[in-house]
Amino acid sequence: MSGKGGERGERKMETGIAAVEKVGGRSTVTRCFSKYPLKLIVPNKVGSSKTDAVWIYTLSYGGGIVSGDRISLSIGVGDGCTAAVTTQASTKVYKSVDSKCSEQVLEARIGRNALLAVIPDPVTCFSTARYSQKQVFRVFSDSNLVIVDWITSGRHESGEKWEFELYRSTNQIFLEEDQPLFLDSVLLEQASTCSIAERMQEYHVIAMVIILGPMLKHVQNQVQDEVKKMMSRHFRVPTPTAGHYMRSESQSGPTRPALVASCSAFGPQAIGVVVRIAAVTTESVYMFLRHHLATLEPFLGVIPYG
Amino acid sequence: MSEQTQNCLMDCDMEEMSADNVKTSPADHLQQWSQWQLLDSILPTGGFAHSSGLEAAVQARFVVGPEDLKFYIIQVLENTGSLLLPYVYCASKFPDVESWFKLDRLLEATLTNEVSRKASASQGSALLRVAASIYVEIPSLKQMRDTYLGSGAASFHHAPIFGLICGLLGFDSSTSQRAYMFITMRDVVSAATRLNLIGPLGASVLQHQIAHVAEQMTKKWMDRPVEEASQTSPLVDIVQGCHGYLFSRLFCS
Repeated sequence: MSGKGGERGERKMETGIAAVEKVGGRSTVTRCFSKYPLKLIVPNKVGSSKTDAVWIYTLSYGGGIVSGDRISLSIGVGDGCTAAVTTQASTKVYKSVDSKCSEQVLEARIGRNALLAVIPDPVTCFSTARYSQKQVFRVFSDSNLVIVDWITSGRHESGEKWEFELYRSTNQIFLEEDQPLFLDSVLLEQASTCSIAERMQEYHVIAMVIILGPMLKHVQNQVQDEVKKMMSRHFRVPTPTAGHYMRSESQSGPTRPALVASCSAFGPQAIGVVVRIAAVTTESVYMFLRHHLATLEPFLGVIPYG
Repeated sequence: MSEQTQNCLMDCDMEEMSADNVKTSPADHLQQWSQWQLLDSILPTGGFAHSSGLEAAVQARFVVGPEDLKFYIIQVLENTGSLLLPYVYCASKFPDVESWFKLDRLLEATLTNEVSRKASASQGSALLRVAASIYVEIPSLKQMRDTYLGSGAASFHHAPIFGLICGLLGFDSSTSQRAYMFITMRDVVSAATRLNLIGPLGASVLQHQIAHVAEQMTKKWMDRPVEEASQTSPLVDIVQGCHGYLFSRLFCS
């Protein structure tokens, strides 16, 4: 297979390729290629041996993404297979040199009745960093997908809060080749009218969780119900009457929620659910993810973010 | 006055008259009536039912004072510019049914926030119904509505419908995009008065104060392809999405 012109051409383009197929009835990584600055690691066993799932870890040399790095990863999950793609630690994006932008691209194809969980640690962009990320997923109507995409405000221990120059994250899901199901792009750019920090106020993390597919209907329903219950608590206070809105600093009153989230269904027959979260601490989001994705344990072998 | 000077003056007058004619023809004058009617809040499109997440923002204590309100409205304008202006632009530049339908499908997948997606479809449907009734000189509006209403294939999202109508009425795309930002600002400010955050006079003062910021946003985000549509205020989006969790509500979104 190697050495042919087309193959070599393809390898020049991609920094990483992974394919998961059924071998002897079990999900198996049948192809795994990576080159600098990306490294793919496939441990022999993660979690219970009864679970049919493979785990793929993505690592960057030097522990982070350097200005100007371009990483592209292509993943194929065959029919009936289960795969999880994750990181070992948060992805650090270092400062931009000469205004160069770093870029990560993921293209994944998920087969029929297959499950792909993309469950990384958050991205942390350092001061002046410029970073762009694009993830494109091609699914069938009975494919299943879990995507966690999140970012922290920077090295807040060092006082860096939303000091990067540019962050763009695009997530696209296409059904049956070309029908757009989910097209989302978040762009955070320092602007003269309003800095990113001003826009984010006291929140240090924003996260998005997508849960899609018939196999995960119970997970979707549970998340929707629980987010609604959790958030409704903050809205129980009836609105004050006219003139009482403008509270003085000294007046005590309920404060903004430390974690605010909303959940929306999307797609034909509400095939998917998306949760968007803003939180003051990274740990609270880890807890949220651990709690709401715990029902994935039977599929993946371990509790994500456990 | 010498005959030469008289002739010169007459020439100048003639030039001024023709320049004036080129600038504003009777057709342009008539267009202004259509334009003003389209942007008038009295047009029965149901815009008053939506607060762009302001009601949820107030209840979640993201907006507690006048500075918060101003900041919130600016964030809404920024998000409208970055996410929706490309749809208004493309629809007004290519005001044909086929292009509109593609934009409608794309926006359906792009408005991942269920609350704003439903609000967009509701406002767009109402706008198309009203426009099809009013602008009888544009039969394609009624035809398009009749074709797609029954099938359920289209969602009739607001931004592409607005752009399409502007384009069919002959407005240039720059005006169309500016107009969309204007009606967005108009509706949030109106919601603020109905939420008792600000009085009607204060609201009018605020609207004029923010106008230059709205113009900045318009210039920044105008004339972009839909592939570049993105959201720039995640907090606003999250809060907007919480509208369904409100204990008591005045607005639909």
